[in-house]
Amino acid sequence: MMQANTSPESSAKGSKAEAIVSVQGVSMVFPNGTVALKDANLEIAQGEFISLIGPSGCGKTTLLRLLADLIQPSSGTIRIGGKSPEEARKARAYGYVFQAPTLMEWRNVLSNVMLPLEVMNFPVQERRARAERMLALVGLEKFARHYPWQLSGGMQQRVSIARALAFDPQLLFMDEPFGALDEITRENLNLELLRLWRETGKTIIFVTHSIPEAVFLSTRIVVMTPRPGKIETVIPVDLPQPRTFETRETTRFFELATAVREALRKGHGYEVTE
Amino acid sequence: MRISPSLVPMLVVALVVLALYWPLMYLANIPVAQRALDTGAALPCQTAFECATQLRSPVLPSPQQLWNGFGNLMFPLNSPNAIPVNAAVTAFETVVGLLLAAVVGFFFAIGMVASRAFERALLPWIVASQTVPIIAIAPMLVVLLGQYGVQGWLPKAIIAAYIAFFPITIGVAKGLKSPDPMALDLMKTYNASHWQTYLKLRFPASVPYLFTAFKVAMTAALIGAIVAEISTISFQGIGKMLAENSRASDVVAMWVIMLSSAVLGILLVALVNWLERLLTPWRRTGGGAAIPAKQARLSRREGVG
Repeated sequence: MMQANTSPESSAKGSKAEAIVSVQGVSMVFPNGTVALKDANLEIAQGEFISLIGPSGCGKTTLLRLLADLIQPSSGTIRIGGKSPEEARKARAYGYVFQAPTLMEWRNVLSNVMLPLEVMNFPVQERRARAERMLALVGLEKFARHYPWQLSGGMQQRVSIARALAFDPQLLFMDEPFGALDEITRENLNLELLRLWRETGKTIIFVTHSIPEAVFLSTRIVVMTPRPGKIETVIPVDLPQPRTFETRETTRFFELATAVREALRKGHGYEVTE
Repeated sequence: MRISPSLVPMLVVALVVLALYWPLMYLANIPVAQRALDTGAALPCQTAFECATQLRSPVLPSPQQLWNGFGNLMFPLNSPNAIPVNAAVTAFETVVGLLLAAVVGFFFAIGMVASRAFERALLPWIVASQTVPIIAIAPMLVVLLGQYGVQGWLPKAIIAAYIAFFPITIGVAKGLKSPDPMALDLMKTYNASHWQTYLKLRFPASVPYLFTAFKVAMTAALIGAIVAEISTISFQGIGKMLAENSRASDVVAMWVIMLSSAVLGILLVALVNWLERLLTPWRRTGGGAAIPAKQARLSRREGVG
């Protein structure tokens, strides 16, 4: 069941695609001496849904920020679609969804989704069409004229997902996007995110500290442990697609959740609390 | 006339002040009136109590005297010696000063946000410039500017700008620094240029701070303009009226002009408030009770999503 294997897995979709993300021997030491990430190795294939899970300080957000070129590694190599993270960022290869929606309060919903298109100099006529399509994708087309403060937290985060997808990047990086939401909203959005993933065929790398969320969403789960932050193991998730509300009630779901929980515990000498 | 409910607390304060003013006025004026009666001055009244409201140079003018003084100084509306024309001149100087201050303030603020070295080199001098008494610096500035042919209202506007640029600099710098680190990261993931980050994120985020700074700066600029008028040669303006009536020891007129400049300050700040509502529509909270209902409707829809 558990494999400390970091070689490329075939994606759950069955096709053996080439690695879109490749992490080799990457370490990150912050100036204050904290080892945020130690010797991480990971290959991610096109179309996968990868969750990075672990307690605070395990380096999961650090790894995502390294992939996004928001910080640079102390050592090791990262390739995104064959390019360095900086080249990939400049080629606008990924969309990034943050922990908070980070919507611009002075822009309405539609205009928020158009923000990356404006920055990237898309043709004016195309901006609106794309933004409207993205809002329809996240089911918020009726709220195009609303301002962010008029939306609930869950809706704001859906807008931020639409914004990340607006310029059609190959990769979607998501850093605990549903962490601040209540359980019911979160489960709804999990289901919606899986639908988005199926419809768009994006490769998603998703940071979370919720075991059920990771099991429900992922094709593979990267279990990370702290002090120093490292990849403990990678657990493939063989739950059938498309997943539904009932998926969470299957025996296999509980087996996988238990496997993740044990991997988290094994990597560290204390109980991992949810 | 319909009175807006938001005005009621303000009017209550006005009534309380008026109620307190009356006995204070008698308290202050009766001894003076008594002394005037004792020296046998020609007064149109018999008792000190009566005379307290009719002194030519009262310690505190009576409301009736203020009202009459107001009538005298307000009309004719287009007279060069009446308050409206002079208040308009001062208001013009103040607003031009504020706009000048905004330009300078933006320049300093952008420099301070862009470069720590710039901030460290300049901020102490900017602070120092504000501790120099404006009443001392105003005449010298006028002499200096006059050397280069700058005369009339412009030196007053420049002096107004001199005190107004400080709150604007600090406010705009704070506004430009206000975006969340995550929002800055977001712009970085778009590979946005510095200029785009300013245009799409830092400038819009600083607008609310700008208006708060404008409100502080507007009152500062008004004081600057009036002080500039008093301390230099002026032919028009509230400050010129104050200086004239001060020389003439016309206490009632001084009070009337003082109150008028207070009203002018309120009007100018109200103008900023109005512009703020106009230019930051996303902050408008709409009509009171309508909001909870709207949010309830929105969150019901959320459940469906």
